[in-house]
Amino acid sequence: MTSREEALLTVRDLRVRFPLKAASLFAPKRYLYAVDGVSFSIARGQTLAIVGESGSGKTTTALAVARLIDAYAGSVNLQELDVLGLDREALRAARRRFQFIFQDPYSSLNPRLRAADIVAEPLPPMAADARQRIVDDLFEAVGLRPEQQRLFPHQFSGGQRQRIGIARAMAPQPDLIICDEPVSALDVAVQAQVLNLLRDLQSGRGLTYLFISHDLGVVQHMCDQIAVMYLGKIVEYADRLSLFQNPLHPYTRALLSAVPRVDPTVRGGDRRLLLQGDPPDPANPPRGCRFAARCPVAETRCHQEPPALRTLRNKQQVACHLVTEDAVSPLG
Amino acid sequence: MGAAATLEVRNLRVELTTRDGISPVIDDLSFSLRAGETLALVGESGCGKSMTALAVMGLLPHPVGRIAGGSIFFDGEDLVAASDRRLRDIRGNDISMIFQEPMTSLNPVYTVGEQIAEVLRRHQGLGRRAAWEHAIELLNAVGIPDPAARVDSYPHQMSGGQRQRVMIAIALACKPKILIADEPTTALDVTVQAQIFDLLRNLQRETGTTILLITHDMGAVCELAERMMVMYAGRKVEEGGVDAVIAAPRHPYTKGLIDCVPHMIDNPTAARPPLVEIPGIVPPLRDFGAGRCLFAARCAERVARCAEARPEDVDFGAGHRAACWQAGAA
Repeated sequence: MTSREEALLTVRDLRVRFPLKAASLFAPKRYLYAVDGVSFSIARGQTLAIVGESGSGKTTTALAVARLIDAYAGSVNLQELDVLGLDREALRAARRRFQFIFQDPYSSLNPRLRAADIVAEPLPPMAADARQRIVDDLFEAVGLRPEQQRLFPHQFSGGQRQRIGIARAMAPQPDLIICDEPVSALDVAVQAQVLNLLRDLQSGRGLTYLFISHDLGVVQHMCDQIAVMYLGKIVEYADRLSLFQNPLHPYTRALLSAVPRVDPTVRGGDRRLLLQGDPPDPANPPRGCRFAARCPVAETRCHQEPPALRTLRNKQQVACHLVTEDAVSPLG
Repeated sequence: MGAAATLEVRNLRVELTTRDGISPVIDDLSFSLRAGETLALVGESGCGKSMTALAVMGLLPHPVGRIAGGSIFFDGEDLVAASDRRLRDIRGNDISMIFQEPMTSLNPVYTVGEQIAEVLRRHQGLGRRAAWEHAIELLNAVGIPDPAARVDSYPHQMSGGQRQRVMIAIALACKPKILIADEPTTALDVTVQAQIFDLLRNLQRETGTTILLITHDMGAVCELAERMMVMYAGRKVEEGGVDAVIAAPRHPYTKGLIDCVPHMIDNPTAARPPLVEIPGIVPPLRDFGAGRCLFAARCAERVARCAEARPEDVDFGAGHRAACWQAGAA
């Protein structure tokens, strides 16, 4: 994993909870722990992907890192900046350093603004001609034509709108761009255009991405590091090649084996580690390992003690009692 | 051809009336669905996949859409000429459909048991008690744990995967000959998706149901289908066995659709070449029906002829067909 000095973003023990409706006025307050002690770091110019299924807490993590929702514990450091400690004023000033690209290009652009004004929105006050030069440059960088600056969002296709969203995110030259499912609302042919654009911009401008996705094909193509979340916790954290070539946690195994391969010779059944049932209720997580109830190799200990995320000899991190120090999965 | 065709679509033309005039959203489409097989219908949104399904079901949006020509033979009977009453009878009994979003296609104010039993009473003429018991059996068959208790659940009390199982139970209640599955796993998590794939495969093995799978996901095609048909702008551009088409697509659009998606592989390397792009987007409806190749504007292999005439549908052997002027050149 990246060492502390070179990390651009460092997240330590991040926790987010949502209050649950109390059974009665006097009942003790109950919470849903959506993100329950998550730590990771990203080096400049790299992409960390957080993967997981719905309810795993991946989007909540991203929102908390950007302070779009509040964490109740933990720390988020963008280099020297203590993001969670900023007051309102300081947060507003710091916002330009971390930008967001949203999933839905239809609802995330203001329908009343022209494309050029949307892109220029996060820019600090400056002279009109300087502003125009930046907008011109951004439109060219994301592959939109200069005359399209005058159009409104509804005059663009979904892929073009996502390009506007990307240009807007790049406008204030942020240190970090958080991409929350940036292509999942787009048609397959358009997805490739946007993914290629994101990678070109990264190599050309040294951008750093926190990439949230449920699509493991996309993640495999985009990320350098990858964290797998299950029910609010990271269960495995490794670099791209280690994770895909030697997945250790039984959940990671199940997740990867569930992805349909585009190869009719490996159709279904035998290669697949089929999970039974659904994840447990996040408002009422099990005492031990959160995956134990669905895990094919769980032992008594797994149901009693929650496993900590530990670093193995090969630097891969995994939260499973049964994975050995030499990175051997209990599934062989 | 080996097995008899359950569904035979011939020269189907479906027109949609929009502000820009009348557009053929399905343009001279012919294909057949053989008994017991799974045929995947593939393409981007707006290419006519769902419209094809709706035409077969007799559920085209009225009065905007209408069948303007061709025929749809179901076991020899032309559904285009059939009365509304007859179509209602066929829907549910012989041809049924599952949709992408199981939450919006289930009625939130009835229990899942009531919704399954209603189908059985209406279409199979079962009594109240018999229908209820059969509903529990169906929930069991689609893998809902503790079906005798879950039969009283409302849709919101179930997870997305369970709701899709309920939808499948409803669709299979009357033992249809054809099941049309429109993006059945798109809204689901990947581990749940895998469960639904296995469920559909097992049910098909047991009941011999013919499946028309509508999807944009090549992974789903490889999981479930034996044959595939690729549509673009209301036209069939390629058709054939899944293995043959995936291994050696004839049409540049099919090739683009396969290559533009970053497919997960088991042994990735450090190299990550850029994805193949299909530039541009699907043409606007007003261009549908033009006497040329509608994909030409996005195609790297276009020649002068592509702008002059609509490519003919050519058979390259073993039922592998493509409509591209350059398909034979390879």
